[in-house]
Amino acid sequence: MTTSSRLNIGAVRCTFAPWEDPTAKPLIRFEGVVKRFGDDVAVNGVSLDIYEKEFFALLGPSGCGKTTLMRMLAGFETPNEGRITLEGEDILAKPAHKRPVNMMFQSYALFPHLNVEQNIAFGLKDLPKDERNDRVLEMLALVRLEGLARRKPDQLSGGQRQRVALARAIAPRPRLLLLDEPLAALDKKLRDETQFELVALQERLGMTFMVVTHDQEEAMVMSTRVAVMDKGQIVQVGRPSEVYETPNSRYVADFIGEVNLFEAKVISADGVTMTLAGDNCPAGYAVREDDLLSPGAAVTLAVRPEKIQVSQDRPPAGANGMAGKVADIGYLGDWTTYLITVPGGMTVRAARANSARIVERPIDWDDEVWLSFSPDAAVVLTS
Amino acid sequence: MSKLRPLHRGLPALAPFLWLAAFFLFPFVLVAKLSLSDIALAMPPYAPRLDLSKGLAGVSTFLHSLDFDAYRHMVEDGVYAAAYLSSLKFAAIGTGILLLVGYPMAYGMARCPPKVRQALLMMVVLPFWTSFLIRIYAWIAILKPEGLLNAALGWLGLPPVALMDNDPAVIIGLVYAYLPFMVLPLYSVLERQDESLLEAASDLGCTQFEAFWRVTFPMSLPGVAAGALLCFIPMVGEFVIPDLLGGSSTLMLGKTIWTEFFANRDWPAASAVAIILLATLIAPILIYQRQQAKLLDAQ
Repeated sequence: MTTSSRLNIGAVRCTFAPWEDPTAKPLIRFEGVVKRFGDDVAVNGVSLDIYEKEFFALLGPSGCGKTTLMRMLAGFETPNEGRITLEGEDILAKPAHKRPVNMMFQSYALFPHLNVEQNIAFGLKDLPKDERNDRVLEMLALVRLEGLARRKPDQLSGGQRQRVALARAIAPRPRLLLLDEPLAALDKKLRDETQFELVALQERLGMTFMVVTHDQEEAMVMSTRVAVMDKGQIVQVGRPSEVYETPNSRYVADFIGEVNLFEAKVISADGVTMTLAGDNCPAGYAVREDDLLSPGAAVTLAVRPEKIQVSQDRPPAGANGMAGKVADIGYLGDWTTYLITVPGGMTVRAARANSARIVERPIDWDDEVWLSFSPDAAVVLTS
Repeated sequence: MSKLRPLHRGLPALAPFLWLAAFFLFPFVLVAKLSLSDIALAMPPYAPRLDLSKGLAGVSTFLHSLDFDAYRHMVEDGVYAAAYLSSLKFAAIGTGILLLVGYPMAYGMARCPPKVRQALLMMVVLPFWTSFLIRIYAWIAILKPEGLLNAALGWLGLPPVALMDNDPAVIIGLVYAYLPFMVLPLYSVLERQDESLLEAASDLGCTQFEAFWRVTFPMSLPGVAAGALLCFIPMVGEFVIPDLLGGSSTLMLGKTIWTEFFANRDWPAASAVAIILLATLIAPILIYQRQQAKLLDAQ
């Protein structure tokens, strides 16, 4: 991503970034992969590198082609065009049962006639008996199911089944583990816990994980990099913080997290700050100039709700002040969300962290308030 | 499941009980009573007969003259034991062949696209639209010495085969007649099987063949048991097929019962054979019912 070199954002202290190292060899490489089902193009020319020890997330709405992409890697679908290589070796020539890739299914696909132990041992038939037993015990310990080895899948809770599925997929020690919506079937609290457990497990095993999800929070929390997909194509790839803070399109900005999109037109630029005009902000916008844009260009300003301040006092000039009226207040506990109607009829979403326990609510329904955001807060989108 | 409930809640369940009492229990008691009677030259041809005009004394005399002569006769005469074993043998061979024929059929059907499946399912059930008796007569036309089969063999220059009025003919008839009863339960378990389980098996290193033996087949065992019992139980008592396709030496209990009733007019003996048959089939029937309950639970 070109923008990441110019903006110092989020978790860049993290040193693990093989994708920025031109000498690093990818573990998995997709080259111009196309998959059609009849007249539908499920995957439309995807090229993508995934590196060893990454926790890679494919994120997109249902039907965007992310599951198809994963199933091609597992060997359940064959691409119509393009190549997929694993450590430089074409894996399309190999049938599913010979690929060093395992998958954890969304439905878990546990064998109902086998108990936990037998399910985990299913992929280990080529190991000698002793080694197989040791591996099963190791896996049971890893997912903390030691006491349930003899249970059948229908005698387990949803969370336990999820762990059996995980253990079964990890047991053959694949080069790459695919996780298809791994947490979708769990309830919210368990999901939050499991997200961190999965990351800890992946780091401990040093295995490469690729997860398919439609849940942006899941993708952001767990992954080293996220690929956002739309209509069979990858729209943006980057660290979660990059994708969140510097989305490259309206689609990505809108899909990941909440966002306010202001339509504006470039008036002038001086190399540091760009001045823009728009219906919602009569005083004109002032934003940081990242890209060279000629005056008159139509752009969209994307501003995250938490980067918009709400106050009763008029902000200073150059702070993108907008007068508005509080239409709704949503109290979420950790956050309070304000919906504020601004000139032009648009409703702006502003969020404030409830960092103090007891505050008198200074802002109430139907109050006249001022919104503002710093020139850094807005992302200028041209597409 | 079989917990006692308050009486008023059990009332709707009374209907099936009444039905069973009228159409199963009552005839069963009649046959059981007959089997304890003695043969007599009378109309109807057995004694004692319950004379209710004498009141309790009549019931008492009646009960006292019931005996186990018919059963004793069965044990003494080796023909019954031979017929009994022969029936079990026919039913076992028939069930074995049905499994070998029915499983691939059901498997193939379950693997077809849904539209084709419906058509195939229809074709399996289609023979029921024709009278059972007519279909067995049709087999006579095929199997008899100068029948269609031998005509076809002759046309191909092959020697004729003797497949009429003998045991192989009975097996062919049994397999033909009971095939739907084997295919349908097998199909229903195989069709329900989750496709993703086979993907998981292949993901974990199984070839298609291994995946079949490690996943599909063990998971279809309840269907195998249901189909086998559904065929085995009625085949043991089968009458029409051995009577029409079997030879004079073909021994089966159904035929024995018929002969005792109508040829020998020995109603007590016929009833005793029927009771023994029922008694031995109770075990497999109970197993079958447990299997069905399990299948329902699994759904």
